[in-house]
Amino acid sequence: MTNPYVPHIAVLRRIITENAMNDIKTFEVEFEDAEAARNFNYKPGQFGMVSYFGAGECPIGIASSPTDERSIEFTIKKVGVVTTALHNSMVGDKIGVRGPYGNGWPIEAMEGHNVLIVGAGFAFTTLRSLAKYILNEDNRGRFGDLTVLYGARNPGELIYKYDLNSWEKRDDIDLILTVDRGDESWTKRVGYVPTILEETSASSENAVAVICGPPIVIRLSMPILTKLGFTPEKTYLSLEMRMKCGIGKCGRCNVGDKFVCQDGPVFSQKELQEMPKEY
Amino acid sequence: MNHKVIAKDGIREFIDGLIEEYRVFAPVEGKKILRLREISSGEEACLDFYNTKMSSKEALFPQNEVLFTYKKDREAIEKEATSPMKREQVLFGVRPCDAKGVTLTDVFFSSGEHRDQPYLEKRDRTAIVGLACNRPLNTCFCTSTGGSPFGKEGMDLLLVDLGERYLVEILTERGERLLGAAHGLRDATEEDMKLAQRLSNEADNAFSKELPTEGLSERLDGMFEDPIWDTIHQKCVGCGICTFVCPTCWCFDVVDEEKANGAIRIRLWDTCQLPLFTLQGSGFNPRPSGKERLRQRVMHKLNYFPKEFGSLACVGCGRCVRECPVNLDIREIIETIMSM
Repeated sequence: MTNPYVPHIAVLRRIITENAMNDIKTFEVEFEDAEAARNFNYKPGQFGMVSYFGAGECPIGIASSPTDERSIEFTIKKVGVVTTALHNSMVGDKIGVRGPYGNGWPIEAMEGHNVLIVGAGFAFTTLRSLAKYILNEDNRGRFGDLTVLYGARNPGELIYKYDLNSWEKRDDIDLILTVDRGDESWTKRVGYVPTILEETSASSENAVAVICGPPIVIRLSMPILTKLGFTPEKTYLSLEMRMKCGIGKCGRCNVGDKFVCQDGPVFSQKELQEMPKEY
Repeated sequence: MNHKVIAKDGIREFIDGLIEEYRVFAPVEGKKILRLREISSGEEACLDFYNTKMSSKEALFPQNEVLFTYKKDREAIEKEATSPMKREQVLFGVRPCDAKGVTLTDVFFSSGEHRDQPYLEKRDRTAIVGLACNRPLNTCFCTSTGGSPFGKEGMDLLLVDLGERYLVEILTERGERLLGAAHGLRDATEEDMKLAQRLSNEADNAFSKELPTEGLSERLDGMFEDPIWDTIHQKCVGCGICTFVCPTCWCFDVVDEEKANGAIRIRLWDTCQLPLFTLQGSGFNPRPSGKERLRQRVMHKLNYFPKEFGSLACVGCGRCVRECPVNLDIREIIETIMSM
């Protein structure tokens, strides 16, 4: 039996500042140990436990796609002790990573379907992983139309601008970007994500919707998805919870009798309807 | 013959014999808190008590525990696994409620895809010598949660205090091996067995009443939004003592502690009764008040855990009742739920 709490050592290969506020960065990491790298087989929507030795450990969604040939990426917002330590680190520094954990987005349920991805703010990370996965040339044919609606407070807060720019040039993805408040150069939509979702009136025919964002965005978007005809079985959410272990032992991320770290973080709206509203 | 008898003045010698081979933990009255501590002589063990203030979970799931250590300099980080236990250990004088608590902890930490190695490695190398409970307290309710004062679950040996002597029941092969350290054993007579049976019956009858727990878990199924939670938490001060003394509370926090050229990652007891337990980085807290936190404790013990593992996560030791500073009583909560 191995100790599941001991992380693998990973080296920071690249650090990208994602937003104008300078509090969201993407960290590209590479495992020191080749075997650890081989064993880190993940799906979009899963997460890792990322540690900065001396500061601690926290759960972070995996932002890269398993189809990426480059190393694994985590996009991290500076909010507490561990994330601040990570933000202060430099390329070449070593961190700890263990995982992957959680169930991930339901790829099987999406195959053969049109996919609507709704993301808001910093919660776009695992949705980006999913979008990249679907857009991969080996996978694209297994999915129908792909619509991505993504919004942030202002243009400077949209993350992954390099991906968004390249997606805009493609004809196999309908990318809808919106901000709460634009600036002089902003030419795209202005409005809250739920409002824009209603305006776009995406078709629910043979479609699956996935959504991730701040609780208020989720709360306001769900009735609109229902109105558009997305059934609870065809709507998926990724939940966020405080976690310490990631493997169902530390006892804090449960919603009812489900552990978000093991049974989630992705749940269908149908599953959530049967769970207590404690998330 | 699975029943032996050892004279009371032979028990210290038995413990001394065990100490030669094992790390032995026994109830020790240090600083007025009776709890299981490692002892270096049979003389230190206190075997005449109602129950220990802290549960025996301390010996297997300590208040703080190093998960691993690491050395750190500019170039490299070197992890070092914490050294596995060098010797097997014996928990001596564990009450049946606590031993049952250990079995539930075993089930939980062995479950799922990722087994809890730090706990299980210790557990595999731990023997439990139980001590039957002749005098249950008026806060005890083990018979209502599937246990009994003379219960044997989780034990390798069960001792019964017969006054001048102990009846020793051998429950496992490991228990039989432990007895190799005892001198002056004799086979139990019919009289010994009859006396033990009488004491067991007396202990069973010492409970003032039986709690209605039949169907408790199912009853809680639809009660998450019930108004009952608005009221029962109101006197709770949120101190969390109920969880720290509980033999079946195993939630933990994980933190790093930095040293000169390295650090340790440790896990510490944590409690669902504190707001920080679930406070997220965004500032959102899914359990923002005492209402949600007490509901979590009650639901986890009596509904979520039973649904997954088929048994209440409460052994009726009564510690949460005894230690609560505002007399919040889980028995009253159970009765209220069952009377609805």
